[in-house]
Amino acid sequence: MTSTRLIHTVGTGALEWLHAHRDGFRLEQDVDPEVGFLERFKPVGELALICKVLFREGVAGSRQAQLARQLLDHAWRDTLDGGRMLVRGQRIEPLSPIPFEVYLPFKELGYSHPEAEEAFRLNQRLESFHAFELPPTRRLGLSAFQRRFGLPARPPESEVIGRTWLGRTPEPWTVEGHIAYDITHAVFHLTDWGENPDGIPAPLADYLATWLPVWLDDWLDLERWDLLGELLVVDACLPRPTLDERAWEGFAAAQAPDGAMPAVRTMPEGTPEELFDLVYHPTLVAAFASVLATSRALTQLAHAPA
Amino acid sequence: MEQSGTSTRLADAVQGLTSELVSALRSGGPFGLAGSVPGAGGPEAADKLTLAAVRVVGADAVLPNVLRHTPPEPDDLAVFSGAVHAYPPPADASPTSTWSHWAMNRTLLRLRGTPDAARPGTPGHNGSSGHSFGHSSGHDTEPRAAWLDGASWQSLTHQLAVLAPLAVPGGDCAVTRVARGRPADVARGFVRAVRRRDWLQAAGAGRWLALLDGVPDTLGLENGLAFVAQMGSADPRVLLQVEAARLMRTGAPV
Repeated sequence: MTSTRLIHTVGTGALEWLHAHRDGFRLEQDVDPEVGFLERFKPVGELALICKVLFREGVAGSRQAQLARQLLDHAWRDTLDGGRMLVRGQRIEPLSPIPFEVYLPFKELGYSHPEAEEAFRLNQRLESFHAFELPPTRRLGLSAFQRRFGLPARPPESEVIGRTWLGRTPEPWTVEGHIAYDITHAVFHLTDWGENPDGIPAPLADYLATWLPVWLDDWLDLERWDLLGELLVVDACLPRPTLDERAWEGFAAAQAPDGAMPAVRTMPEGTPEELFDLVYHPTLVAAFASVLATSRALTQLAHAPA
Repeated sequence: MEQSGTSTRLADAVQGLTSELVSALRSGGPFGLAGSVPGAGGPEAADKLTLAAVRVVGADAVLPNVLRHTPPEPDDLAVFSGAVHAYPPPADASPTSTWSHWAMNRTLLRLRGTPDAARPGTPGHNGSSGHSFGHSSGHDTEPRAAWLDGASWQSLTHQLAVLAPLAVPGGDCAVTRVARGRPADVARGFVRAVRRRDWLQAAGAGRWLALLDGVPDTLGLENGLAFVAQMGSADPRVLLQVEAARLMRTGAPV
């Protein structure tokens, strides 16, 4: 059985790195319009989602909780300028769902910006918002966020899931990198980022329990740590997580001494900003996978015969 | 250099024999083992190269006869028997080598109609058609499958793929019993092999899956076999396994 300590340590290291490099969560005020102002919002939203998981699961030590709180405060106060950057982003691209998606986890954590919310509500009354063409997995995520925000999910998640790759349970031997990310994100959305494992319909949970071991094996050997981390999250979201020992040991061994997780193979080189952009995501994923898997390991411990 | 030349000639002979087997399985037409090994010495075809090629192909060298329950010609039986006896496994042979030889011997006994070979195997498995393989006589004691105990699904699939000639209808033995107990693991191994583009292993695993109950429906085995055949079409060994799997699935000539 995988050592809970090993799983936990991956997360503490990752959070230390994220905290030490929090200035990397930055927006570009004078960005080229071709790139778009919203391009750099995604990391901020992901940070908030994962810090929320950390608070929710209650397996963080006091230092981790403190780091996570400071990270969130930094992201909200400095990066998003107390929410004003969300409003600005929405004005630049009125139909984009990104400011709404970034805002939601902050709102759930107690941050608030009424003007931004007003813009989101107006936005979502538009038929165009619902007609906006998105890949099914992304649309599934948006419906989940609408529900969490207290808006009607349009369309309901139950309607969208069948259109996603995972929802159709296709041949497992066809999975490649892009499909694998669609699978992991479908699971994130169905479970509210691990909060509600029962959100995965039973046939899909069976499908994942059957084939996930193969995908873990594959991306471990390919040293694709970012994707492996997301697949480890999926494992922790299943009714009976395997906490795959070989995958966790390989994942932990790939982590740099300072807590950063390379996306593939080994740590890249570059300026601090380039480095941040290359590894912030796998490092966030490492924190996410660690918190969920630690929580599940403790649950298993609690249910184990004395 | 001579060693290398011999290896190449053997590889060519194996490839040629395997291609003949694929054609025979596809067409349903007659198949004669004697004379199916290209580069062999003469009409008798029982020369060293032939025997070596047949030993490499193993029990599958007479697969058309096995799947169709048709007796081989005396010449073919002589060649097959010659290969069985020319290459007994050494005392320190690997389990797969030992089992591969055992599979040939069992097949030989069955094709000869030896009473020992007709003894029913473990009851309850599928595919029993009156030609069940049983444990053969004392001189051919079934090897043990202990080396597969606790094998990971990756390792299990690899070993089973090497021993694909054991995957025949009614071919009960210790290895098939292990496979029957782990259909999801073999299916995982199939997926792994396809992902790694190891078409030969995928085809061997696919052949086992064609024989097993309890394979997850979501595997999509039929299309998976077609995909493996398409991607691995340059290798007749891949096509042989896929054809065997297809015939066992459709059951037509079995």
